[in-house]
Amino acid sequence: MELLEYAIIGGILYGIFFSLVGIGLNLIFGVMRIINLAHGQFIVLGGYTAWLVSRHFGLNPLWAVPLSIVGAVVIGWPLYRAVVPRLQRSGDPEMLSFILFFGIGQIIEALTVLAFGADQRSLPSEALGAGNIGVLGQQFPDSWWWAAAVSLAAIAGLWAYFSHTRLGYATRAIMANRDEALATGIDVHRVSSIAFVAGLALAGIAGVFVPYLLGSVSPDLGNELTTTSFAIVIIGSLGNPLGTVVGGLVFGLGTMLMQTYYSSWSNVVPYALLLVIVLIRPSGLLGKAVRLA
Amino acid sequence: MQIRMPKAMKAMAAAGALTLSTLGAHAATAPAELKIGTLYATSGPFAVASQGQYEGLQFWAAAVNKDGGVFVKSFDKKIPVKIVAYDDQSSTSTATTLYNQLITQDKVDILVADFGSVLTSVAVPLAAEHHMLLIDPTGSGANFFTKKTDYLADVSIPSSTVWPVPLGKYVLQQKIKRVAIVYDANDFDASQANTLKDVLVKGGVTPVYFHAVPTSESNYTILLHTVAATNPDAVLEFGYAPNDIAFLRALSQSGLHFNMTFTIFPGQLLSLITKNVGAKALAYTYTYPTPPLVKYDKVSYGMNTAQFVQAFQAAQHKEPNFLDSAGYNTGLIIQHMLDMAPKFEQLAFHQALMDMSGKTTTLLGEFKINENGAQLGQPFPVAQLVPEGSGTKIVVVYPDDKATGKAVYPAPKP
Repeated sequence: MELLEYAIIGGILYGIFFSLVGIGLNLIFGVMRIINLAHGQFIVLGGYTAWLVSRHFGLNPLWAVPLSIVGAVVIGWPLYRAVVPRLQRSGDPEMLSFILFFGIGQIIEALTVLAFGADQRSLPSEALGAGNIGVLGQQFPDSWWWAAAVSLAAIAGLWAYFSHTRLGYATRAIMANRDEALATGIDVHRVSSIAFVAGLALAGIAGVFVPYLLGSVSPDLGNELTTTSFAIVIIGSLGNPLGTVVGGLVFGLGTMLMQTYYSSWSNVVPYALLLVIVLIRPSGLLGKAVRLA
Repeated sequence: MQIRMPKAMKAMAAAGALTLSTLGAHAATAPAELKIGTLYATSGPFAVASQGQYEGLQFWAAAVNKDGGVFVKSFDKKIPVKIVAYDDQSSTSTATTLYNQLITQDKVDILVADFGSVLTSVAVPLAAEHHMLLIDPTGSGANFFTKKTDYLADVSIPSSTVWPVPLGKYVLQQKIKRVAIVYDANDFDASQANTLKDVLVKGGVTPVYFHAVPTSESNYTILLHTVAATNPDAVLEFGYAPNDIAFLRALSQSGLHFNMTFTIFPGQLLSLITKNVGAKALAYTYTYPTPPLVKYDKVSYGMNTAQFVQAFQAAQHKEPNFLDSAGYNTGLIIQHMLDMAPKFEQLAFHQALMDMSGKTTTLLGEFKINENGAQLGQPFPVAQLVPEGSGTKIVVVYPDDKATGKAVYPAPKP
């Protein structure tokens, strides 16, 4: 029973963090209908930012959170300008973006190897507190709580943006119907570029905690993170940010329960869930009910 | 009626036969260079170990080329070595294509596998299919060595069925009754875990926890609590270096403590593991110490361990790790094989290795392979990482004749 409690609480913490891992991918898709298959590589860049900040400059790795946002602007803005309008003029942005961003991801991975080498990199445990925090008698490392807290803060910030800002309203309008939003005078390109940069920033922020939750960060982690994010987004509902939170929690709980009782199957969780959801509810847990033909 | 051949004619015929046989041995023209085909990984989970192994092989090639090449008995001359190498990025599918390219397109003379069982696994059937001897530096999974073969030789690391025997005996000697074993679901780790389990069960100890995790596992926090729930005295984790890092980090952050913790790679890549885990978290962890952490003074072929460390440092300006040594040893075994093989043929190469077996000691210890290609020599002892100043020192604790100190058991709480 104690193990089950541990797995459930751990699964929730892990799931909250993985909501953040997936939410940037979903935001970009929701606004632009672009599938960013380089999402995992941007998460990895966040991890390396934290490594640089911590190991190289001796600062607390939390400094990498604002730096990841700055990095997202520096990389994301020119990338958006160079790629996205062309993709959207192509008539089939979803399919083309799939291929294009996969390529961009591979280039980022190769550049990361060049810059940092292939070694896995870890951050000092004590930087986020070397102890444990308990809840309901179950102890979890400080870093897990930090990851969950920052993820919740980022998700709350995104919710506030959608609910209380004019840009947020405009973003929701575009997510609901791009053409109608354009017809009502919303500056779709401006909003899209902000959403694109925000999506990358969310990936970068998630990356800061990857070395803590996954033990280390390495250049090759990107593809795995992209696949996991993609599964989480589909489980929740593609295009629905709240769905990603639900998808993240389902993923976190599923992984931890499997690791507790059937450890060798734990990595199958996202794909098994994905398969079940696509067959039963193709639009995801929070999507509108549709049936596969 | 029997016709008798005159003595003079007999002598002429014998001389002719001898000349022909000599000509036969040298019939093929000696190549201008000897092509050794191999793979390495610049990215992916095996990159660090793979690059170390590759670096060691390159170091050997540079050394022999400086001396005019390797002596090839079948041509009775020295031939320079050329390493043909491709990057498989730790991917088995890429490795399959590239091994195939090395054999069929590049037509390499000698085929050397990339690091570890996962990347070697795809080369084993391919080499056998093309009747090419696969020199396997570090792929030790038990599944490779289940039947007699002329096309596989594990040269720089013992078979996984040999590795954990001293560890199992040590656990039994310490009278540890509650043992938890966590292993990765791959040939290398699974065969170690199963061998260890067999040794323990034969000694009357049945593991209280024996479960696999995916090789890509990176989160051990929950798993450690599941293991702790079985109340073990010893927790033994068999994984690759990234697994060990994640496992040891999760353990140090978990607040859990076990009397004995064992992982494989601190004994092979100590600086990498220390860099990522920290010396404090490594304190009192057990491992298999490998050369150059343990040294072989008396060798029958090539440099001894200390001489190799010195030469490698002078050439590469850094300390070699085990994988550097394994790569170098691979070159050394190839060199000895070529100066033994009477013909420049794959089967003759294999026979030369069999002839060397049990009679050759290198910087990694005794070279001894069986007819299935498994390496039975070079056994690793058991060691403990003991805090010393701000770092750690390796203390060999088993077997007794190799021990350099006594184990600290149970491990003190941090």
